[in-house]
Amino acid sequence: MLPLSNISRILIAGTLFVGAAAGAAKSQTPEQPQSQTQMQESEAPATPSSPDSAEMRPDETADTPPVPAPTSDVVDPASGDTTTEDATPPTDAAAPEASETGTEQQDASDTQSEETSAPQSLARSAPATLPEAGADWPFYGGGPGATRYSPLDQITPDNVSKLKRAFVYRTGDMPTKETKGKYSPENTPLKIGGTLYMCTAMNKMVAFDAATGKETWRYDPKVSPDAIPYGASCRGVSAYTNPDAAEGDACATRIIEGTLDARLIAVDARTGEPCEDFGENGSVDLWAGIGEKVPGWYAVTAPPAIVRGIVVTGAQVKDGQAENAPSGVIRGYDAVTGELAWAWDLGNPELTGLPPEGETYTRGTPNMWTAPVGDEELGYVYLPLGNSAVDYYGGNRSDAENEYATSLVALDVTTGKPVWHFQTVHYDLWDYDLGSQPTLVDVPVGGEKVPAVILPSKQGDIYVLNRKTGDSLFPVKAMKAPKGGVETSSLADTQPVSGYHVLPRERLTEKDMWGFSPIDQLWCRIQYRQATYDGLYTPPTVDKHWIQYPGYNGGSDWGSIAVDPKRGVIIANYNHVPNHNRLLTRDEADKRNLRPIYEDQEQSSGSNAEGDGDPQTGSPYAIEVNAGWRVPFTGVPCTKPPYGGIQAIDLATGKTLWDEPIGTARRNGPFGISSMLPFKIGTPNNGGPVVTAGGLVFIGAATDNLFRAIDIKTGKVVWSDVLPAGGQANPIVYEQDGREYVMIMAGGHHFMETPIGDYVIAYALPKGD
Amino acid sequence: MTHDPHIHVYRKPSPVAKWATIVLGAVLALCGAILLIGGIWLASLGGSWYYVVAGIGLLLSAYFLFRLSITGVWIYAAVWCGTVLWAFWEVGTDWWAQVPRIIAPTVLLVLVLLTIPALIRRPYQPPAETTL
Repeated sequence: MLPLSNISRILIAGTLFVGAAAGAAKSQTPEQPQSQTQMQESEAPATPSSPDSAEMRPDETADTPPVPAPTSDVVDPASGDTTTEDATPPTDAAAPEASETGTEQQDASDTQSEETSAPQSLARSAPATLPEAGADWPFYGGGPGATRYSPLDQITPDNVSKLKRAFVYRTGDMPTKETKGKYSPENTPLKIGGTLYMCTAMNKMVAFDAATGKETWRYDPKVSPDAIPYGASCRGVSAYTNPDAAEGDACATRIIEGTLDARLIAVDARTGEPCEDFGENGSVDLWAGIGEKVPGWYAVTAPPAIVRGIVVTGAQVKDGQAENAPSGVIRGYDAVTGELAWAWDLGNPELTGLPPEGETYTRGTPNMWTAPVGDEELGYVYLPLGNSAVDYYGGNRSDAENEYATSLVALDVTTGKPVWHFQTVHYDLWDYDLGSQPTLVDVPVGGEKVPAVILPSKQGDIYVLNRKTGDSLFPVKAMKAPKGGVETSSLADTQPVSGYHVLPRERLTEKDMWGFSPIDQLWCRIQYRQATYDGLYTPPTVDKHWIQYPGYNGGSDWGSIAVDPKRGVIIANYNHVPNHNRLLTRDEADKRNLRPIYEDQEQSSGSNAEGDGDPQTGSPYAIEVNAGWRVPFTGVPCTKPPYGGIQAIDLATGKTLWDEPIGTARRNGPFGISSMLPFKIGTPNNGGPVVTAGGLVFIGAATDNLFRAIDIKTGKVVWSDVLPAGGQANPIVYEQDGREYVMIMAGGHHFMETPIGDYVIAYALPKGD
Repeated sequence: MTHDPHIHVYRKPSPVAKWATIVLGAVLALCGAILLIGGIWLASLGGSWYYVVAGIGLLLSAYFLFRLSITGVWIYAAVWCGTVLWAFWEVGTDWWAQVPRIIAPTVLLVLVLLTIPALIRRPYQPPAETTL
């Protein structure tokens, strides 16, 4: 199954028809022959797009080779700003075909008109020199480009077998009776100077010594347990050094976090004391302008990006509650004063500050719950946006929402305005939020290194875009999207497919059904045959279940990818897990007493999987998700392993170098019993990798609670350690006193069903080696 | 039974072995019924016919085990062999995919084979020196 990414591509290719993402909305137009001549891929054949092929069902077109979109057509702001089609509502039900044009063309035009009205900027006009990863791990993603690459090479495949725990720091933040079953800390520390900085699940900020693990300070912002949205997570903190401050000044370097109760908090890196110059005594309230304060509905779980002195943050908006949800507004704050520099409300672009008294930022708009990445040089921040509220019904989404949802948006921090955006799924009805932090790296294209941003998606597409323009550096193809379900006329006709790389997502067949015995396998086969399933992007149905594959856990999720720029290798772990879903009528939802968070705090929170009965109030349907499509009672998945893998991908070409299952069966088994089987099975995984110049990939992520080192050349696990709790966090690599350390938090994860812990474990080679 | 001219000349199994065989037969009957009913459902949805065939096989095997007939073992062995052939035809050497197809039927195979001593009918030897 694993080495089949090529097969998966063929299958996907089979679902393609000419139609380029871009101008191609009308793929059977006279423009077609022209685009044929511009085809850039050898697999693109002399099969012209025809109405016939376009009307074939995907499984019948398996032999029809794809015709990629010419790159220039796909994302070309240069042409975009001269066309008027950019303004075309992307999901005009009456003209769904035309929507393709509007959505796939990346427009610089909207900025051009808006930039002029930008307020005076608080952002610095010149880029600062930012620290790279090395002895330090100064950013959530390592260096400023979030490559998760360390240039350290003390630990190598030859000596990694001697790797031992150097120290274990414990945060002390463990679930209480009230917060039991809600912990998913997902923390990744920063390392600056001799100190590690991190936040705990409940947003306690801590600093500890990088060589000994001895705590130096702690700041508790006292977040109330009812602020926990889906899970108590704080993926990381960000550091900012004020260029105007003298070295000894209070808060010259500050550590900034966003909290579950939606505050930005800045504390002095040396003491942990709140920065008095920042907001109100070190705190900025992000509820301002959002509307009625409903704890747990609007929560920050990712570290902010800090670009040109502006702290940029979005927030998680708890999924599935109501159409009338808190806004997805993105805001920039002065990193020194905490003053609101700008707000980008995609539903109300004229509003650049706080909304007038009594009003709010546009409600229900696509939000950004994951970590953005900053581009100090260009002054941009790349925002991986999620979906509009609600996830599984789109009937009331505005044109602007359809334009920007599930897009990567390059926002100019000096103006607070979008420069370009790239949409990864049109009219998203599958919770295919962009979950991964994008990575900035120079990609060799035609003998030239192009500053690029790499964007992995939950569907498994990896896109490589020009940072400046949003142009895809590789063809973006289009696949014919299935129709049907409750909103068939609103669905996009095609969906984009990366011509660069797609993580494995072969179409499921009845034979792929699994279970524990012939009986539950039979049950799963019946469910498979009963459900609607038309491959990727099968539309939601209410009369019966539908199979969503990949599920909302990815592909690639918040763990993101790592890139070794020296070797030119991308390391990407991924999930291989379907969901079994059904829309519920309002009557059914009422019978089940599904109520939104603002009506019933208790009912909507808790350890239920996301989507496991969400009301979607305000839309005609509620939603029921069986995440992982598991058999009731035994808990065994309905589809066969592997459920997760890890790949090495050639950066220059997107070709797979190796592909291995990640995770053993030791902690999995029927009825939740650990089988203790040491065999590699490939488990679901959450959390990303790091790569080192020493030639190793370090990753936890899998549900086997192992932390492992993988030889980047072969993909083989060359070392592992059993963690005391789940390793659902991104590791880091740093150097202190000449010693290379690898560190991961073993914090566990409620949704991944791994044990919760508060361990932060540092590994190093024994002294003297 | 004693009226059957053939039976009374064979040794009877011990009560424990007899009841163990009948309990196993009941397990096979239950599994067979589930597979047959579910299998008909699956086949009606356009899915695999394997479960219908296997379900019938298990029910037949159970019937003969209830009658303490060695034919039940032969039928189960045939179902098991067919299952293995079908499983390899479906998923080849994808061993994780074989887990639900092969393991439980093989556990049952072992149990079914354990009934053989109870089912083998050796000619009745009059217990010359016994007082019973």
